[in-house]
Amino acid sequence: MLSSKNVYPPLINRIMGVWWRHMKVYTKNLFSNGFPPFIEPLIFLLGMGLGLGAQIKLDAFDASSYVAFLAPGLLMTTAMFTAAYECSFGTFIRLEFDHVYDGMIGAPMTAGNLLVGEILWVGTKGFFFSSAVLLVVSLFGVVSTPLALFAPFSGFLTGLMFGALSLFITSFVKTINHFNFYFTGLLSPMFFFSGVVFPVSKLPAGLKEAAEIFPLTHTVRISQALCFDKLSFELLYDFLYITLFVVIVTCLAVIRLKKRIID
Amino acid sequence: MENARQVLSTCMGKLVFFCMYLPNPATMKYFIWTMKKTIIEAKNIFKSYDEVKAVVGLSFSVESSKCFGFLGPNGAGKTTMMKMLYAKALRDKHHESELSVLGFDPENHELEIKARTGIVPQEDNLDVELDVMQNLLIYARFYHIRKKEAVKRIGELLEFMELGDKKKAPIRALSGGMKRRLLIARALINNPELLILDEPTTGLDPQVRQLIWDKLRLLKQQGVTILLTTHYMEEAFQIADTILIMDKGKKLIEGNPVTLLKENMEPYVLEIIDKKEASKVKGNGKSGVRHEDAGERVLYYSKNVNELKKMAGKLLPGTHHIRESNLEDLFLRTTGRKLNAVQ
Repeated sequence: MLSSKNVYPPLINRIMGVWWRHMKVYTKNLFSNGFPPFIEPLIFLLGMGLGLGAQIKLDAFDASSYVAFLAPGLLMTTAMFTAAYECSFGTFIRLEFDHVYDGMIGAPMTAGNLLVGEILWVGTKGFFFSSAVLLVVSLFGVVSTPLALFAPFSGFLTGLMFGALSLFITSFVKTINHFNFYFTGLLSPMFFFSGVVFPVSKLPAGLKEAAEIFPLTHTVRISQALCFDKLSFELLYDFLYITLFVVIVTCLAVIRLKKRIID
Repeated sequence: MENARQVLSTCMGKLVFFCMYLPNPATMKYFIWTMKKTIIEAKNIFKSYDEVKAVVGLSFSVESSKCFGFLGPNGAGKTTMMKMLYAKALRDKHHESELSVLGFDPENHELEIKARTGIVPQEDNLDVELDVMQNLLIYARFYHIRKKEAVKRIGELLEFMELGDKKKAPIRALSGGMKRRLLIARALINNPELLILDEPTTGLDPQVRQLIWDKLRLLKQQGVTILLTTHYMEEAFQIADTILIMDKGKKLIEGNPVTLLKENMEPYVLEIIDKKEASKVKGNGKSGVRHEDAGERVLYYSKNVNELKKMAGKLLPGTHHIRESNLEDLFLRTTGRKLNAVQ
């Protein structure tokens, strides 16, 4: 009698409810939403590989071709951008314009449950996007080891990190235009200095250390290790960084964004 | 006789329940709560945003299966009070404050409260990226309702709110009235014991308003406790058992709308819409006639309609009329006639 009256869904169901909402919205327009992760890497690899790649001396890159070097990093940057868009512009719109969060918070879930669900969803999206890129680059024949099949899991971690980071950034944003600072000021440099387009070890002193601070560097390293079949114990350090980053930034983002969801 | 038997069986039921669950403190709390049948108990609630004091020492209690209406001008603190009930807003820390909703304090039991409450917010917050059916299916999932059961319940609710043919409609294609009705349907998906509605009929046409009032009366008959805020006196009069008029975060008066009107207002009003014309009767109001200035209008209230008719005889036709006083007169009298900063 009592138990049936006071019951609210368990934690995992509350979080997965949010995940499910996003899944429904995303798959509603599956063709237009699913198109970019397949086509964008294709354009990028063709442009970079055929044009620039042909002019590059390979000894610096430790890969069979420049395209082969780019591939594992591209898996991660795709995951990074999709997570960043979803949890910056997407979150801001759901929070301020469409009031979707206000609606959701009327059901039995806390603001914390809601935001963790968001992060978990963009992790999933990161997984899906890097899987799509992996499929495309496999067609080019540049990734051959079966270990590469695990690279999308690194995409999942990229999604989690940039989901949490973007939510944290969103908590400061007053008007939607402010996101330009985030994309131009933070994500663009990360794209170029995280070992995606050339190895971190070839960066000048100073920048090399800075690259270690960037979250993207760590998942790119894991992705490259998986795609080039070069697993090592040093990767544990990257996993540690990722774990700490996700936990700390998620907590900060939840604390700050909660104040915007709850009056 | 029938009544006595009912009371006896209820008492017996409670006694059995009491003995069975005696050792569990949480159960005890619930038991005590069912005895009281008070759904909401608020004492000295405060809430401020930076410099603005939205709610100032508000106290009220809501009985089970009753409709309780909050009335007040914009910025009176009605919405803030509603939000505090389900932890959408957090009340100020104050040693005298106490808040209990369905037997729980929203501050640390928001999930228990929300699982048994339905919320219709002032602002539409339907999921515009999904259609009607999907909106309700996702919402049912938030309550952990199984899909088969949800589909059945959604069908019933859409019929109940007369939206049966809109299942596949995108949210953007719905009219304002349909959106409101859908919000109410959404709030009912978990069979709530308490329904909180923040201005449920603002901006709607008379047909939809009447429909919503009918549905709310039906829900009340089924035992749902209803809490609503409104600017419409008519709405409060139609469905509320108790009204609370508030302004600037404070309670002004509270009670049954009919009784309040009887106790606080003279039954008749002479309303003169031309101020110049009103000067003809100024000063010669007999005893028992109360005069009130309202911008360009002048109002004379009295228990004696003949007194007002006599006064009206001195005025040009078309400049005045005599009517019964209503809740709006009471509202304006208690909250003041001038606009505040947020109106």
